[in-house]
Amino acid sequence: MKPKSNPSLRLNRRDFLKIAGLTGGASILAACGTKVVTTPETQVPIPTQPPAKIPLSFWTPGGSDVYCKGFGTIAANYMKDNPNIELGETKCNPTGENYTEVLLANIAAGTPPDATIVWTSPVTYAVRGAVIPLDDFMKTSKYSQTEAWPKGVLASCLYRGKAYGLPVTAGTYALFYNEEMFEKAGLSSKREDFPKTWDDLRRISKEFTKWDGDLLKVAGFIPMGGPSDFYGMAVEFPIWSHTNGGRVFDNENMKYTINSEQNLQLMHYALEWWDEEYHGDLIKVNTSANWAGYADAKGRPPAFQEGVYAVFNSGFWLCSDMYAAELKFERWNVAPYPVGPGGKETASGYWPNWLVIPKASPHPKEAFDYLDYMSAVGVRTWFDNIPDLPTNANVPNTLVPSLVVKNRNQEFAANVTDFFRHQLDVATPMWNSPVEDFYLDKLSLALEQILSKKATPEDALGEVQRACQEELDKVLKG
Amino acid sequence: MASIRTPWSKISPLHRQEAWTGILFTLPWIISLITLMIYPILDTVYLSFTEYSVVEEPKWVGLDNYKEIFLNDASFKPAVSNSLYYALLSVPIGLVLSLALAMLLNMRAAGIGIYRTLFYLPSLVPPVAATITFLVMFEPRGGLINLFIRMFGISAPSWFDDPVWAKPGLIIMSLWGIGYLTLVFLAGLQDVPTTLLEAAEMDGANAWQKFRHVTLPMMSNVILFNLVMNVIWSFQVFTQALVIGGTNGSPLESTLMVMVLIYRNAFRYFKMGYASALAFLMFIVIMIITALIFRSSDAWVHTD
Repeated sequence: MKPKSNPSLRLNRRDFLKIAGLTGGASILAACGTKVVTTPETQVPIPTQPPAKIPLSFWTPGGSDVYCKGFGTIAANYMKDNPNIELGETKCNPTGENYTEVLLANIAAGTPPDATIVWTSPVTYAVRGAVIPLDDFMKTSKYSQTEAWPKGVLASCLYRGKAYGLPVTAGTYALFYNEEMFEKAGLSSKREDFPKTWDDLRRISKEFTKWDGDLLKVAGFIPMGGPSDFYGMAVEFPIWSHTNGGRVFDNENMKYTINSEQNLQLMHYALEWWDEEYHGDLIKVNTSANWAGYADAKGRPPAFQEGVYAVFNSGFWLCSDMYAAELKFERWNVAPYPVGPGGKETASGYWPNWLVIPKASPHPKEAFDYLDYMSAVGVRTWFDNIPDLPTNANVPNTLVPSLVVKNRNQEFAANVTDFFRHQLDVATPMWNSPVEDFYLDKLSLALEQILSKKATPEDALGEVQRACQEELDKVLKG
Repeated sequence: MASIRTPWSKISPLHRQEAWTGILFTLPWIISLITLMIYPILDTVYLSFTEYSVVEEPKWVGLDNYKEIFLNDASFKPAVSNSLYYALLSVPIGLVLSLALAMLLNMRAAGIGIYRTLFYLPSLVPPVAATITFLVMFEPRGGLINLFIRMFGISAPSWFDDPVWAKPGLIIMSLWGIGYLTLVFLAGLQDVPTTLLEAAEMDGANAWQKFRHVTLPMMSNVILFNLVMNVIWSFQVFTQALVIGGTNGSPLESTLMVMVLIYRNAFRYFKMGYASALAFLMFIVIMIITALIFRSSDAWVHTD
C-alpha cells in the first residue's frame, strides 16, 4: 500500500505560482538595484602590491577584417616591449552599430574603452567633455610632442588651445586622373602639365564629356567632385574654398564664413559649369553612373575605375582602394587642386583617423603610452594592412602602398606617396568645428539644393551659415 | 465574486488570497512594464525640457527645445510632411492589399499552407538586407523594376535618385512586409461564420455583396486592430529611410522621416534633450491619431 503523503509538505499549483511570481519580481528588482556604496569601514583593504598587469581596452569604429586583425599584431608587439600591459582584443565596433552611439552610451554608462580610434572630429567630443585633453601626456611622450605633428592636421584636434586627439593617419586629397584617357584625347598626361586653374580644368573637361541623349556616357570633371556623394562634397568644400581664396571656419574666433564672397563665387562658378557641361540635371547625371570612388549601394561600380570619368578628387586611400573594383585601365596619376579665380595658391585637405582617450578611461596614462607607440611604430603595421597615410614625423617616409607597387611599380608608388605626403604641407584647416557633423549635414543638403536648382547659392549657403553659427554659439554657451 | 467596487475589507479571505496570487504572478511583468516602458517614457518627457549630451548631466532649459522645433529647425517641417505622406499612403494601400491577399489565402486550395508560409516569410527578413536588395532592384537604369516597366513602353522613374519618386519607392518597399497584416486578416476571415455567408448566398447575394455586407462587418474589429497597428508602425519607419537616404534624407530631404530626425539629433549632434522633445511630440501625435481612430470606430466597427 502506498504511504499517504504529509499534506503540510504538499505544494499546490497556487502556492507554486505565488512563489514563482515573487521570485521573478525579486530577481528583476535585484537586477535593477543600485550600486552598493561602501563606507570606509567596510572597504576592502588596498593591496600593498600593484596588480601584476594593467589591462587596457582599445576599440575602433569598424573596418575590414584585415584592418581589425592588424591591431592584434600591433597590440602583441606592444606587449612584448611592455610586459606590464595586458591589451585585450581590439574591438572593431563592438555592436556593428553607429559608433558614436556606441561610444557615447559606454561613456555615459562608465564603461568606455581606455582608448579608441574615432572617425569624427575629436573637437565634437571635446566640447561635450566626452574625451580628455592630451597635452600633458604629449609633453612627456616619446613620439607625440606637438612638433611631431603637421600643424594643419593637429589643428583638427585642438579645442580652446588643447589637443584632444592624435591624428595618427591623415589621407590627403588630390585629383586623380586617367592618364590613358588624357593621351587618347591628345592631352599631356604628365603631372606638371595638369591644369593649374579652374578655367584650364573646365576647358579640358569638355574634351571628355559625352552625352548620349539623357545618358552621360563619359565625364571629364564634374565640378566639386561629382553628385553621387554630397556628404563627400561637403567634406571637400573647404579645399575648393581655399583654392578660391576663401575659408569656411575660423577656429580661433569660432566663426563660420560659409557664405563669404569667395564661396558664393565658387558656387556660381560650379553652377555655371554644371549647367553648361552637365545640362544642370542632377537626376540624369546620377542615374547615368556612379561618380563616387566606390561601388554604391545599388551595386554600380565606380565610374573612374570603369574608365568613363577622366578626373576625380579623392584621398590617398583610393590609391589602394581603387583596385578593390576591377580597374578597366592601367595608368593613372595624381595632381594638385587647381586655383580658382579668387585664389592664389593650391590647397589640399585630409581625413584623419584620430586616437582619443574617452572620459572615465580606466587607465589614461597607460592608454596614452599605447597611442604614442601606435602613432610612430604601430602605424607601420597598420600601413602594411591598410595604407592610411601616417602623419607623425617619427614615421619613416619610405612606406608605400603594396597594392600600388604590385599593380604599377615601386618607383610610381614612392612618387605618389611622396606627393600625398607633401599635400599635408598645403592642407587647409578642416574638422575643427565643435559642431562639425551638424555643419557637414547642413552643407551637404545646401550643395544638393544648389545643384538641383532648388535654392540659389546665396539662399542655401546663407541658411547654412545662419544655422551653423547659431548651433555653434549654443554649444559654446552650454 | 469580489467586484471592483467592493472595499478590500469586505472581500473574503479566499478572494483576497486569489487577488494576491494574481498580483504576484504578474509581478515580473508589472516591474518590466514600469522599468522598461513607463520609466523611459517619463524620463524622455523630463529630458525633453533639458539640454543633455549624454556625457554630461542634463541642464534644465524649459521650453527651449520645443521652441526650436517649431521656430528654428528647418528640417522639422519636411520630416513631418514626409512621415504624414508615408502614413497616409502606405497604411490604406497596405491594408487593402493584405486583406486581398488574406482572402486569396483563405481559399481551400491544394498547397495553400505553403503559400501562406511563403507570403509571411518576407516579414522575417532583416530590414537592412531587404532595403539593400530593393535598392538594387530599384536602380533606375538596370534594376529589375524599371526593366519590367520599360517592357510596356513606359518611361521609368528614377526612384531614389528623384525626390518626387523616393517616397513612393519607400511605400512600395513597405508592402514587402504585409505578411504580418495578412496573417491577422486571415485569422479574422476564418472567424467569419460560414452560416452567414451561406444565408446571404441563399438570399441571392453575389460575391461583392457578401464581401461588403457580411465579411467586412464581421472583420471590422480585425480591420481596426490592423489599422491602429499599421498607423503606429508607419510613423515609426526608420531603417528603410536611413539606409536609403542616410541621416540627411537624400535626395533633398525627401526620405527624411521624424524617426530619422530624432536619431540624427540624438546620436550625431549629441542633442539628446532635443531628440527627446521630438520623440515626445511624436508620441502625442500618434496618441491623438489613435484616439481619433478609436473614436471613429463607433461608426464603422460592428459589435454583436
